[in-house]
Amino acid sequence: MSRVRLSMILSVVAGTAVAANPALADCQLKLGVVGVLSGPAAQWGIALRGAAEYVAAEANKGESIKIDGQPCRVTVVSIDSKYTAEGAAAAANNMAAQGIKFILGPIGSPELTGIKPIAVRNFMLVMSDSYAKDAIGQQWPLVFHQGPGPSGWAGPIIKFAKEKFGMKSVLLVAPNDQGGTDIASVDRVAYEKNNISATEEYYQRGTTNFAPIITRIMNAKPDAVDLASSPPGDAGIMVKQLRQAGFEGPIGRLGGPGYEEIARVAGGNEVLKDFYWYEPVFIDENVQGIAEDYKTLMHADRPENNLFFQWVSATRMVVKAIAKAGTVDDTKKVAEALRSLPVEDPNIGQGRWIGQEFFGINQELSFPFGVGFVVKGQLQPTLRVEAATGK
Amino acid sequence: MDGFIATGLIGISLGAQYALLALGFTLIFGILGVINFAHGGFYVLGGYLAYAAGHYLGISYPLAVLAATFGTAALGYLFELLVLERVVDDQLTTLMLTLGLYLMMSTGILVVFGPQAPDFKFPVSGVLRGGGLYMPIENLIVLGVCLAAIVFVYLLVYRSGLGRALRALAEDRQVAAAQGLRPKLLFPLAFALATGLAGLTGALVTPVLSLAPYLGDPALATSFLIVILGGLGSVGGATAAAFIVGMVEAYSAVYLGGSKGALALFVLVLIMLVVRPSGLFGRESRGA
Repeated sequence: MSRVRLSMILSVVAGTAVAANPALADCQLKLGVVGVLSGPAAQWGIALRGAAEYVAAEANKGESIKIDGQPCRVTVVSIDSKYTAEGAAAAANNMAAQGIKFILGPIGSPELTGIKPIAVRNFMLVMSDSYAKDAIGQQWPLVFHQGPGPSGWAGPIIKFAKEKFGMKSVLLVAPNDQGGTDIASVDRVAYEKNNISATEEYYQRGTTNFAPIITRIMNAKPDAVDLASSPPGDAGIMVKQLRQAGFEGPIGRLGGPGYEEIARVAGGNEVLKDFYWYEPVFIDENVQGIAEDYKTLMHADRPENNLFFQWVSATRMVVKAIAKAGTVDDTKKVAEALRSLPVEDPNIGQGRWIGQEFFGINQELSFPFGVGFVVKGQLQPTLRVEAATGK
Repeated sequence: MDGFIATGLIGISLGAQYALLALGFTLIFGILGVINFAHGGFYVLGGYLAYAAGHYLGISYPLAVLAATFGTAALGYLFELLVLERVVDDQLTTLMLTLGLYLMMSTGILVVFGPQAPDFKFPVSGVLRGGGLYMPIENLIVLGVCLAAIVFVYLLVYRSGLGRALRALAEDRQVAAAQGLRPKLLFPLAFALATGLAGLTGALVTPVLSLAPYLGDPALATSFLIVILGGLGSVGGATAAAFIVGMVEAYSAVYLGGSKGALALFVLVLIMLVVRPSGLFGRESRGA
């Protein structure tokens, strides 16, 4: 057979294959992940990336996204935003250049501040996880929030912690940028509403040895210390150094999740001693099913940080909205579909849209969450709290 | 008063760690004229080598620290011999090469060990308390080893034949070479000594704080700050500046707070650059 004839036959075969499934060849949905994948907050970004890749695999397996009746292949593009505004902006610009219309992330407040102008210019739909005071708002109709910030959950957690530990004063420690100040200041108000006097203390992001800050905290003699949104790596060192300095009171963490890494860096539950934190999702058997399914589908263990489960539910919501809108390009249409969807997840359960009171726009997903406790060095069962309402 | 003394202890502890870290950085500049942007990378690599030696090979922590020190020294030796040596007089090229090495090291560590902090603990725990003061035993041990290593470096540089040869090369390379000293033999040794010190610091300090791939950036920034303050290439200056930085960092953070404390340090360096651009003990220019 001549080479020319062979080429012709192969071309015809390839052409026939594409004609038989044109949508598979043409329809691509790229989900952009803008998350911190390095540095002390990397755990959060790894959880986001793992969730996006899992939901993409789930969607491809079930062919859940169909455009004009034809299945659409979902892929994930991840870029490390380095927990900085410029890192996130660069990532968003890169994605805009690739034609990506849907962004999952970012996680930090500075990152979200950096990404918004680019997202607005390029009509990108953003499902973010920042705890910034202006994370979402009427001026950014395409920006959604995958879960409430401290305004939604700090109050109930503080109530439980006060019942358990009886503290009357707390000192909040966080990095001295928007990723720290926006959370610690909201936490402070929540403490004060529970009749606990609160003060804020900030440190330079990038600090590796917290011994001087710890001495300053010890001089203030608070009943409790709250590490707010300090990255898990930083929080672990602070817990360890607080205990070495002789601090006996409870230590809270009303910020992003990271109990496992904090405990590992600090030296275990006996060092945590009395510790309380926010769990973004209450993990029961149903939620644990995601982890098992992840293992089957991705041939690996799910990312360690529990933010993973929250990202799975949020990514599923975005994918459902895209499927409902029937477009992978028109983000306004997808946003409309997303707002109209009932908030529910097959594993996590029922939730609701909130955010009107705090942000002026109802674009914040709210599912039941958990409160974690270590008491006298013993890990306690997580408490379940119903989804935050109206905040 | 207790708080004031406790802060001083923290300052000394920080200063000793910084001195050990910065000595290598300033040695490389003083002897080779190279600004080693991979210095922070060797610090992190030292931590990971010690962790890997203990975790995967099961060897004891002191031996793991030695393994990390010699491992980073060996890598530094090979890098200088095979890569830097040919372009050692071109400051821009050496700067780019060391920066490239740092990126390769940090990315390699990220790929091999992942971004999360591994379970790497100091083998000794406990805290000494008395009279309102406290000192974690691990910090005390690290302080002791750091001070011993600083003394060793001093003896090596100022009381040994090798040190004399290295100082001669730093003073005037052409004259030293005319006297029979061989830069191609001594430069890799100097580089190995410096990277070994960075590796030793990483192996000692990371189990006390935490170990993660990104820690090279703050280590490099601290080294830079110290050698600018002490004078580029000055061993005595780097040591003095390290303790000054440690003290300023400790007292300013305790009495001014974390944000203003960090600002105080940079203001100090800025004033030094204006008042004395060559640093506390630096020279106007390198002789070599």
